[in-house]
Amino acid sequence: MIRLVKVELKRLYARRLTIIGIAGVVLITGLMLFATWRSARPLSESELQQAQTQFEQVHSEWVRSADEWKKQCERDYASAPDPKPSIAEYCSYPEPRLEDFGRPRFTFADTMPDLLYGASYLLAGAAFLIGASFVGAEYSSGSLGNWLTFEPRRLRVYGSKLLGALLGHVPVAVVTLALLIGGTALIVELVGNTSTTSGKVWGDLLAIAGRSVVLAAVVAALGSVFAMLLRHTAAAIGLLMGYLVLVEGVFGGFLIKAQPWLVRLNVDAWIKHGTTYWVDNCQTMPDGIYNCTSLEKTVSFGHSVWYLGIAAAVIVALGALVFSRRDLT
Amino acid sequence: MDDLAVSTRGLRKTYRTRRGKRVVAVRGLDLDVPAGGVHGFLGPNGSGKTTSIRMLLGLIRADAGTMTMFGRPVPERLPEVVSRVGAIVESPKFFPAFSGRKNLELLAEAIGAPRSRVGEVLAETSLGERGKDKYRAYSLGMKQRLAIAATLLKEPDLLIFDEPTNGLDPAGIREIRETMRSLGAQGRTVLVSSHILAEVEQVADTVSIIGHGRLLASGTVAEVIGGAGKGTVKVAIDNHEAAIPVLTEAGWTVRLDGGYLYVDGAAHPADVTRRLAERGMYVAELAPVRADLESVFLELTAGEGLGTDEIKPGPRGGDR
Ligand SMILES: Nc1ncnc2c1ncn2[C@@H]1O[C@H](COP(=O)(O)OP(=O)(O)O)[C@@H](O)[C@H]1O
Ligand SMILES: [Mg+2]
Repeated sequence: MIRLVKVELKRLYARRLTIIGIAGVVLITGLMLFATWRSARPLSESELQQAQTQFEQVHSEWVRSADEWKKQCERDYASAPDPKPSIAEYCSYPEPRLEDFGRPRFTFADTMPDLLYGASYLLAGAAFLIGASFVGAEYSSGSLGNWLTFEPRRLRVYGSKLLGALLGHVPVAVVTLALLIGGTALIVELVGNTSTTSGKVWGDLLAIAGRSVVLAAVVAALGSVFAMLLRHTAAAIGLLMGYLVLVEGVFGGFLIKAQPWLVRLNVDAWIKHGTTYWVDNCQTMPDGIYNCTSLEKTVSFGHSVWYLGIAAAVIVALGALVFSRRDLT
Repeated sequence: MDDLAVSTRGLRKTYRTRRGKRVVAVRGLDLDVPAGGVHGFLGPNGSGKTTSIRMLLGLIRADAGTMTMFGRPVPERLPEVVSRVGAIVESPKFFPAFSGRKNLELLAEAIGAPRSRVGEVLAETSLGERGKDKYRAYSLGMKQRLAIAATLLKEPDLLIFDEPTNGLDPAGIREIRETMRSLGAQGRTVLVSSHILAEVEQVADTVSIIGHGRLLASGTVAEVIGGAGKGTVKVAIDNHEAAIPVLTEAGWTVRLDGGYLYVDGAAHPADVTRRLAERGMYVAELAPVRADLESVFLELTAGEGLGTDEIKPGPRGGDR
């Protein structure tokens, strides 16, 4: 079995699509770093000037009118529909600050997680594509049948292909994320603001990166299973896209209650260690006014672990069942 | 039972087509392939040869029946014997974007064969230098040779070739034929399927003829031919007109063709001479007619139509 996995790993890295996929991921990572560098630069003289002018305008306006706004607001408060925040909260007009004007100040601690989230989806997408074509190509070339005349134990063949796709993506994801984190850290070190970068921040970042690696590896294996089930790379990709767009995108939008059971939200919760979504709570009030409020709900990290773990296990088991009984003609 | 390389009893397979139609591809096949030598597995297109081979190799599941290879029940114990069996089913199939050598290296590693074996089998199949070219760029003949090279990685006792000469030019066909002959001479068993009889007649020690997914005849080439041509005697005699009624009286059928009488149904050629001699007629020439495999084949499969009833093989035949 170990021998078979090694062979599959070799095959994975010898494939042109794997190389192209990795090159694409690295290229996009490079672009992300470039964009980071652009926004991490300190403000130029003219940018500072602009921000200062804007700030002064808004500030003088605030000095002149804040009291008046506040009084007006307090008068309106009574007629605002329930439920509503306290009057102090409802009618606060804080003094504008210079930092809020011009291009936002760049800090490593604020930006890095978002970059990692983006990279996670990028890696997962590439992993699915590479994983699906890894097995899909065997169906389209017919070489899978030939392979089985050398190793007829179907479950071993299946397992080795999945493990090959899974393990093969670990170094890819690790290197990509290391490039991204290292590159961003370097950029920030050179031109940006590292003041808020604490040990805790690093710990969180590494945890995100770790989860992202696991995601990419598992998605690659699932891509292989999809192609195994459907006998075709394009069909596997089509199914995933169709599911995400139609089921999760369209129906998911209607079925608000189903949100915690959507794959996308759970993947989000997995990467971000918990995530939130909004539920509109609409009702007709006694006075006949139709009123909606948005409630923020959470999908916990634990929920996503269970959900995704079980979903992946079911798909892998289904693939094993089908492949072990399938006629290869 | 180790003197049989392959044996099947009551083997059946029904396909369900996309439109839900059922096609009985193999219906109760009893096949015995003796160990050692070349065994021709003959049948028209669509008669179930490929399907039978796929079942033997565990690629598709039989609906009913039993199969053994080297005495082991398969597919249950296929993993035990697979290292002794090399097979090419229909056309060779490898990764097109990898070189021939790369394809073989992956297979060799998967079965734990030493890497040096790859160079050896490439040389044995005279691919040598071309091994580093992409498989995609190979001619059909080279693809076929690479497929044979792949089966040799295992140093197998049984080689299964499914219509190996399909699409090859005469030189390619001769090459394959010689490869089969030399593999058989090495004491290995070669099971070669074909719908072209002439191709197999020259190399096969034994043959099985199938039609409709069932065995029609089997044995040595001589037995199968002798069996079919049994009792036909070619007679040269001066006085046909007188001889014909004498022979028909004996209950034989007689046909005049090209100056010769063809007598059918005599248990032994000597009976024909005796009968004629009793009436004072003496034969100038007499020879038992040896049917060739072609006519035997046509005779055996005549009542069977082509392949299966359900699907008439189109231009592509039953090979998909
Ligand atoms: N995958 C399949 N689905 C449906 N019918 C098939 C399939 N493969 C073969 N057949 C049918 O089964 C019969 C036997 O085919 P096959 O075993 O390929 O014959 P041969 O190899 O002797 O030409 C044919 O009628 C063929 O059309
Ligand atoms: Mg065939």
